[in-house]
Amino acid sequence: MSFIPGQPVTAVVQRIEIHKLRDGDNLILGFSIGGGIDQDPSQNPFSEDKTDKGIYVTRVSKGGPAEVAGLRMGDKIMQVNGWDMTMVTHDQARKKLTKKGEDVVRLLVTRKSLENAVRQSMMH
Amino acid sequence: MPIDRLADMEEKLRILEDLNMIYIRQIALSLKDSDIQKKIDYEIRMREGACKLLAACSQRDQALEASKSLLTCNARIMAYMSELQRMKEAQVMQRVARRSSDAGPMDDRSPCKGKVAISDLRIPLMWKDTEYFKNKGELHRCAVFCLLQLGGEIFDTDMVMVDRTLTDICFDNTIVFNEASPGFELRVELYSCCSEEDYSAGSTPRKLASKLSSSLGRSAGKKMRAALEPGACSPTSNGGGATILLPVPSVPGPKYHLLAHTTLNLSHVQDSFRTHDLTITGNEECSYWLPLYGGVCCRLAAQPHCMTQQMMSGCLRVKLGGEPQGWTNVYGVLKGTNLFCYHQKEDMEANVEPVLTIGINKETRIRAAEKDPHSKAQNICITNQYGGEEVTHTLAADSREDTQRWMEAFWQQFYDMSQWRQCCDDLMKIELPSPRKPAIVTPKQGSLYHEMVIDTSDDIGTVTDILARRIEEFELRAQLGSPPHWMSLFDEDSPRSPHKHQHLPPHSPSPRLHSRQPRSPRCHRTPGLLSSNASLTSDSDSPTSVSPCFRQAWSPDTSSPSSRFRPRTLSLDAKLSTLRGRGYGGFRCNCQPPTANSVSPRPTQTALSCSSSTSSSSSSEGSNSQESDLGFSRPSGARRSLRNLRAKLDPRNWLQSQV
Repeated sequence: MSFIPGQPVTAVVQRIEIHKLRDGDNLILGFSIGGGIDQDPSQNPFSEDKTDKGIYVTRVSKGGPAEVAGLRMGDKIMQVNGWDMTMVTHDQARKKLTKKGEDVVRLLVTRKSLENAVRQSMMH
Repeated sequence: MPIDRLADMEEKLRILEDLNMIYIRQIALSLKDSDIQKKIDYEIRMREGACKLLAACSQRDQALEASKSLLTCNARIMAYMSELQRMKEAQVMQRVARRSSDAGPMDDRSPCKGKVAISDLRIPLMWKDTEYFKNKGELHRCAVFCLLQLGGEIFDTDMVMVDRTLTDICFDNTIVFNEASPGFELRVELYSCCSEEDYSAGSTPRKLASKLSSSLGRSAGKKMRAALEPGACSPTSNGGGATILLPVPSVPGPKYHLLAHTTLNLSHVQDSFRTHDLTITGNEECSYWLPLYGGVCCRLAAQPHCMTQQMMSGCLRVKLGGEPQGWTNVYGVLKGTNLFCYHQKEDMEANVEPVLTIGINKETRIRAAEKDPHSKAQNICITNQYGGEEVTHTLAADSREDTQRWMEAFWQQFYDMSQWRQCCDDLMKIELPSPRKPAIVTPKQGSLYHEMVIDTSDDIGTVTDILARRIEEFELRAQLGSPPHWMSLFDEDSPRSPHKHQHLPPHSPSPRLHSRQPRSPRCHRTPGLLSSNASLTSDSDSPTSVSPCFRQAWSPDTSSPSSRFRPRTLSLDAKLSTLRGRGYGGFRCNCQPPTANSVSPRPTQTALSCSSSTSSSSSSEGSNSQESDLGFSRPSGARRSLRNLRAKLDPRNWLQSQV
């Protein structure tokens, strides 16, 4: 992911589709998020750039819907169902993920390993 | 005189409409297509029902819904009629073609149809920030919905009320069109209707309206005038006044106007969300105007039937392995981008893994090989590129006709894939809207800007309640405890040990606070003080006042047999302050050690000692009052919510939320 201030962010992304698990009245996805424009970015253990205020996946429950769908700890979430996640507060991000009535969320995530993989495959 | 003319016009319109109906029915009959005719009849009945409902209903919401149904019915009728006309034309053309001699074999291959689904429609708005942040004045609200048309199918979304607290118009519906060809055109139209006070448009005569508008003020009058003028701002209002073929009966009630539209086709189909441009009709002067940003974001997915259905199946023989004569009998199924070969037909039905899967995609090459001397029919060779290498599978059908049919199926598959393009790379998922329709109407969608709402249990009132209760507790404990060591400063004669017991009569000075919650749960927790419960609760009823409280305390104090209170030479004020201090200060020595939550050395001690015990003052005590991490026994819900509030407001934390 290249972050040049003032320029659009470019990244190698992966699409992940998570089917929420119904637990009584709740729909759970099975992961935790951290970050947001109202949070302190220097405390983010997963970001490369410590000024990045994006939404990161901090924990993935084992066997949960998120892990099954391919989400990994440390992923940065760029979009949720078309809604941008690179410039939102923490609460806004949580709300976009936990909308009642939505059984499926389609995320656009990026991770360092993706970029490496692409770079390596381009070198051959 | 003019009224007669109006009635005359209406009469003429009705006659025209009847004639149209007859014309339509004739066409339908001649085509021997009763299906469309049934549909038209149904829609006409729906339309009549909607008109009646519109005339009858009084509530604004009902009127809006009925008007929306009316518009949809009209649109559907128009679509069916144009379909009828097309079919009629096609029939006529065919007859002409048949008559002419050169009707060569029409070898056009037609691509397979597919399902097209559009979902998660979102139209961003662009309010002027001055308009957005001002909160005075009435809210300009519009009712909007989307009409989606593909081929002969028309669907409408639910109606959404939009005002300036919304940043986007979101439609949650998923709309699936079942028989779409790859050259489809999906027309998305956004209709809106101003939803201000009931104008009962159409009933007020023009002159009166202009008189009213001048007296109502410019903007209100403008809106009223616009409401009275149907279609003032757009040529099509109420769904199709454009053609004479279907004159629309003018009904009173809210009228929707076309605000924006766009057309989507195969090139816009993608498995993820995309933004498309909207063409906006109407301008700021119209009553139904909304400041659209100019785009619509949605997910447009397509599932061609060649990807979801079995296009061909039958018995085949395939050469497996290296043996030249090793033919294996398999049951082949052509579906999507693969040819699945199962041992037997039952395996496929039982969802057993196929023996062999041959990819059939854009890169595949299929050709009929030369005649195998051992068999009667030609072989089919399928070549694919896996990684860097070429892999060829050889198949054979049982007979020449079978071979021909398989080749035909492959060609059709290739043609479909070339027509549906990106939809055939991978199967796009389409979620069918769940059959249960939630009857709950979501309340006004919260604006993104207003979403950081603090939980009601976190408000200041509750915090001060908790503080008040805490003070109660402290005071209770103070009865058991002893004055702090600094109290001895006031006693010049003899230093006292901090743990002397202090007997206070039941009617001790109680800081009577304005508390909303009942105090009994609090009191029960401290053992041995049940006797003072009564006093506390009775005290709670009386209004807050400081001086009577201490005056009261003053007298029992002097009569107390405690040997500690030697006659003092201090002034009354000092005495009063000591008593206050005694009442409040005792907690410091005797309370439970605070839990991990509470952190700082509490200046509450000094704060409380001088408090006049009203809630406002306790909330103004320094920075601690907001996040009172008084970690003593209190309802855990309040503690948790306060903790959350504290965590949210503390910029040092890095919040994590579980979803």
